[in-house]
Amino acid sequence: MAVSVDTVYQRVLAILNKEQRGYVTPQEFNLFANQAQLDIFEQYFYDINQFGRIPGNDTEFSDMLNILNEKINIFETNAAMTYGGTYWSTPANLYRLGTIVYDNVTTSKSLYPAPNTVVTTTTQVEVERINYNEFLYINQSPIAKPTNSRPVFVASTAGYQVYGDTALTTGVRCNYIKKPSQVEWAYQMVFGEALYNANDSNNFELHSSEETELVIKILEFAGLVVKDLSIYGIATQINAQTNQQEKA
Amino acid sequence: MALINQTPEEYYLGPDGVWDSGDESYGNYQFVSIADIINNFMISHVGQDKLITKVRRTDVAYWAQRAIQEFSFDVLPQDKSIEIEVPPGLYMVLPQDYVNYTKLSWVDNGGIERIIYRTNLTSNPEAPTQNAAGEYTFNNTELITNAQSETLTRWNARSAFPLGGPGGGNFDLTNNPDLLSLYAYGGRYGIDPENAQSNGTFYIDNVNGMIRFSSDIRGRIVTLKYISDGLGSLEDMTVHKFAMDAIVKHIAYSILSTRSNVQEYIVARFKKMASAARRNAKIRLSELKADLMSQVFRNQSKWIKH
Repeated sequence: MAVSVDTVYQRVLAILNKEQRGYVTPQEFNLFANQAQLDIFEQYFYDINQFGRIPGNDTEFSDMLNILNEKINIFETNAAMTYGGTYWSTPANLYRLGTIVYDNVTTSKSLYPAPNTVVTTTTQVEVERINYNEFLYINQSPIAKPTNSRPVFVASTAGYQVYGDTALTTGVRCNYIKKPSQVEWAYQMVFGEALYNANDSNNFELHSSEETELVIKILEFAGLVVKDLSIYGIATQINAQTNQQEKA
Repeated sequence: MALINQTPEEYYLGPDGVWDSGDESYGNYQFVSIADIINNFMISHVGQDKLITKVRRTDVAYWAQRAIQEFSFDVLPQDKSIEIEVPPGLYMVLPQDYVNYTKLSWVDNGGIERIIYRTNLTSNPEAPTQNAAGEYTFNNTELITNAQSETLTRWNARSAFPLGGPGGGNFDLTNNPDLLSLYAYGGRYGIDPENAQSNGTFYIDNVNGMIRFSSDIRGRIVTLKYISDGLGSLEDMTVHKFAMDAIVKHIAYSILSTRSNVQEYIVARFKKMASAARRNAKIRLSELKADLMSQVFRNQSKWIKH
């Protein structure tokens, strides 16, 4: 699924070097590549919000929300949160927090395999985000008070406090979007030339359909560096056309 | 997936594998838990392309519980009852989850429930202590009150009269001075029909959380049928399946009507839907069976002789 960093670099170089406009060094390319990847990645969230407001379509491959979700799902993951005494903290590679989930463990008795066998059931329940001031009221309302089957969390700079019947200290996980990993076009110098080193390189994590978008974005940045405004202009124009077509 | 998640063996024998040992959940298929209602509501009414695009689960839980409370009062069948033997003090402590009563009766030797009627001719008011001059007395800044009002003392004093026995005994006005007093009430103009009954009376002393009986109830077995709000315990937090649709629509209406920027016609539409669903639930839960109705209608063939 990933986009090859070498393919993108070669394409950027090929377009940029046409008519001897300029050259982008591997170091510059790596900076531009990461910036472009983050630009495209961040835009997904706003696009989902935008397309969520209009009716979609029932086609198999062309519903915009499905397309966007497919692109984001590559980064969606879940992991256990860590409890540090008072607060829960999220995994280090978190980019956007999705849902916090609590493993609510209950016990009951069953006839099987033998009479009165104690059976433990774990139900995953969503932990709901509320503000601290709301928590003060909710916690005092007998019928809105959080329970283990209906927990809530309050977020602050110190971390997350999760409340069920009491403050919950075990069994909390989160579903989240992780940060895209750093892109790197690694190389080794051979006869004074930078030769691609596939082993040490990191490809783009974005969906393979973003290859063209990445090339254009990087060209935009490169156009500014080589001070060739025509490159910047063309890249910006193509980018705008693509956006217009995608979002019309 | 089918909704029944127990084998027949587990249903009839329960977890301990013993027939009718008290740990079975006989008849529970007719009920839905509040957790299921909340989950179903979140699935069916909340989300993209739906009228409620986003709502807190806490809000839904709040309105679901409020709905159960409201429905407990007049839609859901009341099935709470408690039976006690009335002590010499002529009172019954209100049950822990009591909200209001539907029927109070004493049980005769044949197990038939005789309705006890409520009276508003006595009460247990707060009684501040007074000095010889009739002035109220205080302990520092607090008003001192008597442990029991004189009204209650006099009402209870009647219970010293013996009854025919705990099973009921014969009705005897001499042994039932409270009723005698009631019959005398307005006696100059003839008996007040409201008081013309021999089953006894009670009143509810809400300040002390007790039901107080007339003296003829002493030693009798009394059954209180009452309404709770359906939220007293986890086991209570279930709703009959007949009322599930009404509860869901009630939640939707409550959320939409308290939300800003919802057009009034949408609120009105949901109000109508909730109201209609509630009416349907009430009709369904009122157990109007054709055979029972026809049985009752047979009473019309009885001749009343004068």
